[in-house]
Amino acid sequence: MTITVLFFGALSEVAGTGTKFYNDVGSLDELSLRIADDYPLMVHYSYRISVNNEITGENAVLKDGDEVAFLPPFAGG
Amino acid sequence: MSDYLVKGRVEARLISEKIEEAGRLTNCGGHDIFLGQVRDDMVEGRKVTAIEYSAYEPMVTKEADRIRGTIQAEFPGVGSVIIVHSEGVVRAGEISLFVMISAGHRVQAIEACRKTVELIKEGLPVWKKEIFSDSSHRWTANGASDKLLP
Repeated sequence: MTITVLFFGALSEVAGTGTKFYNDVGSLDELSLRIADDYPLMVHYSYRISVNNEITGENAVLKDGDEVAFLPPFAGG
Repeated sequence: MSDYLVKGRVEARLISEKIEEAGRLTNCGGHDIFLGQVRDDMVEGRKVTAIEYSAYEPMVTKEADRIRGTIQAEFPGVGSVIIVHSEGVVRAGEISLFVMISAGHRVQAIEACRKTVELIKEGLPVWKKEIFSDSSHRWTANGASDKLLP
């Protein structure tokens, strides 16, 4: 299974990309561990996480084709 | 691209088109408009020359739809809620946000417009990067500033 991870705002600079694909990640908790390994500096930033456009605060099960976004504090308007 | 986003600045032509179109709402007696403009702030001796906006487009659509629903539920006299936000680079002095509320009466138009702008600032998934005259940049957040660590 493959999921799409999107990084917005300052996080796109920390990750060096706006989009990355991860294989075989079953849950948000698991993804968070992989992200922490790949991008240790991300721990210095505050952000929320969405799965398929819904912001979530809980560990969610991920399935093939899901889109997870890392969202720093908004700055619209 | 989301219907709520335009590439670059919001053009005066778009604003005047929407004002003309609003004339079809013959049960409305007032329109309130907010225009957000990029300001040439001085930050630590550097001047902002532009802001680059980025957006999570599908979530912008979802959230802007939700904001419009909230406003129309809270202000039953409101006939129309228009939201247009820039994506990409907008220079100092250019418009990056256009909100127009049409309502039966002016009090609802004014209050709904103020509330719409507040909801946009709280909930629209848009990010901004201030670009300075020396080409450096800084990410900002509403109510705070985030510095990128070296």
